[in-house]
Amino acid sequence: MRKLLVALALLVPALALAQRQYIDVGSPDFRPLALAVTNFPAGPGAQADAIDVQQTFRDDLALTGFFDLLDPRSFLADASEGTSASSIRFTRWTDVGAEGLVKAVVKREGALVTGELHLYDVRAGREVLYRVYKERTARALAHRFADDVLQFYTREPGIFRTRIAAIRKGKGSWDLVLMDVDGKGAEVLRRENTITLLPAWRPDGGEILVTSYRSGKPEIWGFRVPDGTARPVISLGDLASGAVYSPDGRSIAFTASVDGNSDVYVSSADGTGIRRLTSDPATDTSPTWSPDGRRIAFISSRSGNPHVYVMNADGTDQRRLTFKGNYNQTPRWSPRGDQIAFTARDERKVFDVFLVSPETGKIARVTQDQGRTNEEPSWAPNGRLLVLVSDRGGRPQLVVANPAGDRQRVITADAAGVASPTWGPAAP
Amino acid sequence: MTGESALTRGPDRLWPLLFASVALHAGVFAAAFLARPPAVVDLDQKPIVAKLVRLGEKRPEQWLPRRDVPPPEAAPRAPDAVPIPVPGPPAPPAQKTVALPAPKVAPKPTPPRPASATTGGKGSDALSRALDKVRKDDKLASKERWGDPSGVSGGDATDASEGDRYLGLVTQALQASYRLPATISEQERAQLKATVVLTVEADGRVSTFRFEKRSGNAAFDQALERAVRESRLPPPPPELRQRYRTVGVGVNFKV
Repeated sequence: MRKLLVALALLVPALALAQRQYIDVGSPDFRPLALAVTNFPAGPGAQADAIDVQQTFRDDLALTGFFDLLDPRSFLADASEGTSASSIRFTRWTDVGAEGLVKAVVKREGALVTGELHLYDVRAGREVLYRVYKERTARALAHRFADDVLQFYTREPGIFRTRIAAIRKGKGSWDLVLMDVDGKGAEVLRRENTITLLPAWRPDGGEILVTSYRSGKPEIWGFRVPDGTARPVISLGDLASGAVYSPDGRSIAFTASVDGNSDVYVSSADGTGIRRLTSDPATDTSPTWSPDGRRIAFISSRSGNPHVYVMNADGTDQRRLTFKGNYNQTPRWSPRGDQIAFTARDERKVFDVFLVSPETGKIARVTQDQGRTNEEPSWAPNGRLLVLVSDRGGRPQLVVANPAGDRQRVITADAAGVASPTWGPAAP
Repeated sequence: MTGESALTRGPDRLWPLLFASVALHAGVFAAAFLARPPAVVDLDQKPIVAKLVRLGEKRPEQWLPRRDVPPPEAAPRAPDAVPIPVPGPPAPPAQKTVALPAPKVAPKPTPPRPASATTGGKGSDALSRALDKVRKDDKLASKERWGDPSGVSGGDATDASEGDRYLGLVTQALQASYRLPATISEQERAQLKATVVLTVEADGRVSTFRFEKRSGNAAFDQALERAVRESRLPPPPPELRQRYRTVGVGVNFKV
């Protein structure tokens, strides 16, 4: 019996050894999904449309950074391969590394461009999405396709039928321009001959607020979309500027300077019922709403330098959010709520775009070593892309970037330069 | 008869002893098995966060973060970016956006650093001290890599942390191959968590891979298996070989 007890005693350390250790592995590298897009066959008279649809569709998907669009020259499948899943030899697509496969057929029906879209899961060897559309232009059709493919993979609404508004400064003129998310299809909504700044969309896309010097001092005006009709909205003290609609479109937050003190105010959407939210003698400015409309982030220099602060939408519980940098500006709260993008000057005296978590205050960097100034970020309605202004190519142009900053694309090439982009709401 | 072994005794005496021995062993193994945490997943267990801190100077606390890897696409201009049309009586040029080759604008030359003090010998002490500080700040500001004076030269983390060295290397190796499809939405990302158990051979090869807890997202679970297969783990130190070959190591993958 004693021997058995000894054996048991020997077993105990072995049991202790069995305690397994655990490690944490986080922060994965998000890898784009390999997507093959075949040439889109065209119906009679639709050759040019088919090429346009395909190019625009590819550009859209490339812009997101979620997809790695495979080079069509590497494809092994027959060019004549059909669109029914049974006629597709999926092994030829797995051989070129494709995870997804897109086919489409483009036709003309009078003034309309029609198209059918097919998306296949290559590994599973089956069709996963089929859509048919009629649109007025090839580009509109392509954006539809891109939205559908993006929505299939991300399970969120796409953003390719949204518009970006920005200010283009000419000689003595300020143009409020609207463009597609790839910078194309640009049009001027309204040309002004007084200083016009800081556009911001109404959440339904029906109006853009701007800061205008039409009457000699900065005031808030609204330009109707799509006809550009102007209406005065708010005039207060020496200056009213930087107005932004609340997410429900019922209120407006803005900066006003009364008796020389700049503070954050709110009003109702028609400009009445103005209330002051901050009262610090230092400069308080640049409000931005949280997506639930319950909080407002803003810039205050009450600590000596401009920093990002957060408060409740009624002005209570004001607290400082950023403690790094010494010149932080233009905060924009993500529609997802989890990040606030802002512009900051770093220790090398260059301006870059950063993100700060409104909960933890942790800061991440989006742009770096790309010109002297990257500023004025604005979020896409899905919160997965940002548009910002960069002087990396000389004149300030618009850049679309993902929040991680590892995908960036310059979308404008305007001789005069473009500033203050604001990304419009999702298409209805 | 006193020195006689139990085995040499008659079969009638041996069987009960053998039976007792078998029963006891079975009991011990059953106890050992039951003593393990029920589903093996111990949510309260604090995972070892193992990072190797890079050797170097600490980045000033109040400075904005710098990326270790700068954004890859620093290209000044997309080749197909087009100018915005001008409004006015002459109808704006048709929206046909021919990919016109925009003249490549040479990147603006970086303005030279503030000229250092060449104040012909008459500079006051205060001035030269101030200039020294500016130069020092400038030099500091141009540093690319930050670390900790107590770090190691192969480290890749900027913040201090603790951990076992081998597990740190395992973490590093798994981290290098930890890639997920970018299409997994951020709403899903927040939920993604899985625990896998790996056993590691003396040469660092992963001999078994099993899920202790799946995430429920097939794309994520598949990607983890691929990440582990593609990783190259370092050989465990000799004294720990047995442990990693049998008990293995648990890995909590999260996003």
